[in-house]
Amino acid sequence: MTVWPLKFRERRDGKFLLTDDAGGFFLSDQSFLERYVGNNLSSADQTFLRENGHSFEWEGDPDWTAFAYRWARRQSKQQELSYVILVPTLRCNLTCGYCQVSRAPETAQGFDWSEETLNGALRLIGAMKGPRIKVEFQGGEPLLRVDLLEQIRSFARARFPGSQFVVCTNLQRLGEREWAYLDQADTFVSTSLDGDRNTHQRQRTNDDATTDAFFNNLADAVRRLGPGKVSALPTIDVDEPPDFEELVGNFERYGIQSIYLRPINHQGFARRRRSDPHSIAKWNKLHSSFIDYLIDQNHRTGRYVEEYYFSQCLRRFLRSGADDHVDLRNPNFFASDYIVIDHDGQLYPTDEARMLSRIGRVDLSIGTVTAGIDQAKIQLLNHASLNNFDPDCIHCAYQPFCGTDVVDDLSRDGRIDLVRTDTWFCQRHMRLFDKVIEVISRRDEPALRSVAKWARVPSWGDHMIPVHT
Amino acid sequence: MIPLRLKIETDAVDPYVVRLRSCEGMPEPLANVSSLDAALATADGEKALFTGAAGSLHLFGIDPSEVDGDVVFVVPWRKTAHRLIRANSRHNTLLITERCDQLCVMCSQPPKKQHVDMFPFFETAVLLAPENSTIGLSGGEPTLFKSELFEFLRKTMKQRRDIDFHILTNAQHFERDDRAKLRDLDLSRILWGVPVYSSDSTIHDHIVGKPGAFDQVRSNLSLLCEAGAKIELRTVLMKPNAPGLLDLARFVTAALPFIDTWAIMQLENIGYGRKNWHSLFFDNSLGFDLVSKALDFSISRGIDTKLYNFPLCTVPADYRAFAPSTISDWKRAYVEDCVDCSLRNECGGFFEWHPKVHGYGRFGVA
Repeated sequence: MTVWPLKFRERRDGKFLLTDDAGGFFLSDQSFLERYVGNNLSSADQTFLRENGHSFEWEGDPDWTAFAYRWARRQSKQQELSYVILVPTLRCNLTCGYCQVSRAPETAQGFDWSEETLNGALRLIGAMKGPRIKVEFQGGEPLLRVDLLEQIRSFARARFPGSQFVVCTNLQRLGEREWAYLDQADTFVSTSLDGDRNTHQRQRTNDDATTDAFFNNLADAVRRLGPGKVSALPTIDVDEPPDFEELVGNFERYGIQSIYLRPINHQGFARRRRSDPHSIAKWNKLHSSFIDYLIDQNHRTGRYVEEYYFSQCLRRFLRSGADDHVDLRNPNFFASDYIVIDHDGQLYPTDEARMLSRIGRVDLSIGTVTAGIDQAKIQLLNHASLNNFDPDCIHCAYQPFCGTDVVDDLSRDGRIDLVRTDTWFCQRHMRLFDKVIEVISRRDEPALRSVAKWARVPSWGDHMIPVHT
Repeated sequence: MIPLRLKIETDAVDPYVVRLRSCEGMPEPLANVSSLDAALATADGEKALFTGAAGSLHLFGIDPSEVDGDVVFVVPWRKTAHRLIRANSRHNTLLITERCDQLCVMCSQPPKKQHVDMFPFFETAVLLAPENSTIGLSGGEPTLFKSELFEFLRKTMKQRRDIDFHILTNAQHFERDDRAKLRDLDLSRILWGVPVYSSDSTIHDHIVGKPGAFDQVRSNLSLLCEAGAKIELRTVLMKPNAPGLLDLARFVTAALPFIDTWAIMQLENIGYGRKNWHSLFFDNSLGFDLVSKALDFSISRGIDTKLYNFPLCTVPADYRAFAPSTISDWKRAYVEDCVDCSLRNECGGFFEWHPKVHGYGRFGVA
């Protein structure tokens, strides 16, 4: 019997998590580890390893094929371009302290798509294979150019049998034309809601009248557009986080039960203002306490709110195929299924790459909407955009569930050849997956209930985690 | 219950396949097959006369509008027409053979020794099927006639690119060389329904009545995976295998991760299932713990898992989303207690031949 290589990580309680490259996992102890490392497996060990999918007899036997299949499913497939992020204008009618995108003043000239860029964008969308596409409008405040949004939407609707539009708007100022645009079955709203009212005002709206306008429009949007049409993200300042109870209450008030806590982004202009090397430890602590808070709160209310990214990591740990979040998958090939078209017609592989280029740190543009995609540059980026062969990742028990983020590394450290464990990305995800393991092993009723909801299964318990001693 | 056999009279001598057409405004028949249609000529309360190239055909005791578009197999000397494909049903199954190399303890259709080759008739029937049909192929064990089956699939799938197949097989008879033949077919249009009852080979082999069956099915499922086949794994839940269902779930996620669907099925009270009912029937309304743990596990690992043939009220509310209505229309029935049930529209009810004393300890939705 041949055992596929096992990787391990010791938990605080002295137990070990063991995983293989195909994402198989189990919990065990020091003495098993010693038997494994010492090539001294008992027959009970061998039976367990065979039944849990960690071994084979000969290449091509059913166990080998099953492992190969599971390994392959853990890899994110290169896909057809089906998703575009469009920045029709960089102008904005808010001046948020942390603005990540280097906004331009509302009245500024030369920050909107030209006629040529619009036509280029239409050509690029028109060349997509379909049948389903997704268009996300970013900014600036995209609704300042609702006329461009209308043209894009009409074109996409006529071209594809299935199209979906997401408007990332600050919901600050909406006239009849803007409401009419949003109030369509295929159109969704994504906005920022920074937790409680005070934090929102401090970080985004500055004065009472502007804050009132936002909350009124948010309430109107939820009422007019219906449930499931409005999502919101809180951007969190780790040094001045919002009150959890108010944050969750605020999101639930608007019918939103999935909350994606985002640290203030280190890309774009935000980086110039704040740069604290210890912020990742603070962030991990904050995030972890938010998960604990949700578990307790959910049990009290009987309503199940999730932290979106934690749930995503939990599902990625349990099963393959959870590749729908573009920031966490492996390999993560650039300009594969989605691409960004900036206000000046430049193409970027991600929104973060756009911001990073904007502040002049490194030019990550990958072509222009008129000249097309620069494949040589894509290849260069893709070369580093997988964790399978990274000298640090290959030893990591979380490698099959994790991803990689070249743009984040460049943004924070200016290079990609760092010791992985020194990067923000690695430190964040190590703690996230540690938290996943901690939470799925808890046996108290509140944790069992929340984990079941977050994992999308009817119930959770001891039977869900293989243990071998 | 919907009749599958019709009483007929015909002037023909040899058996033949014909499509009945009894309504006006029907879509144009597909090319080259209009000679295989019989159109309604006259009808009264008792019988209907259909005429076509194959001669005249009298049908007794059925409203002709109900058989419009049906493809029937006419056996003159038996004065019978078998409704091979009913146009308004999503559940049409062709019985390839009654022979089988396994002898399952709950077999709903116990095998017989004799075999009549129906492939030529089935080929015609498939060509006449309504657009976008899914045709079931069953037995007995269809792959006992593997080369004929592959040939049948190759021909019909080429001529009718809109049609899908759902083939029930014990997967005992595939060989390495078959991978090439399988790949020649458009495997995206075939779902192979393969039963596995336990991860314990002794229990599986006992249930199917064939030593070595487990190892064979394991190996051939792997072969189907290599060919790129779509697989529906089928597990009839019974007293002998219910305690091992969580182990089977672990086995499925580790060893058979490539399946498309795992169907956990309630027992059908017919054939050997009726004979052995008391030693086999597992009352999930009282012992759902065994089922729920298996479901939790396989769903969490990304396996699309479903409960087939479970009355909804016997399944706890949190698990009902995994119990679609699956009992074919022509064999579906409800019991007296179901009359006022609020879930009746979503519920598959019972097999028509299920005993009136249904055997569930906990039954009915409050």
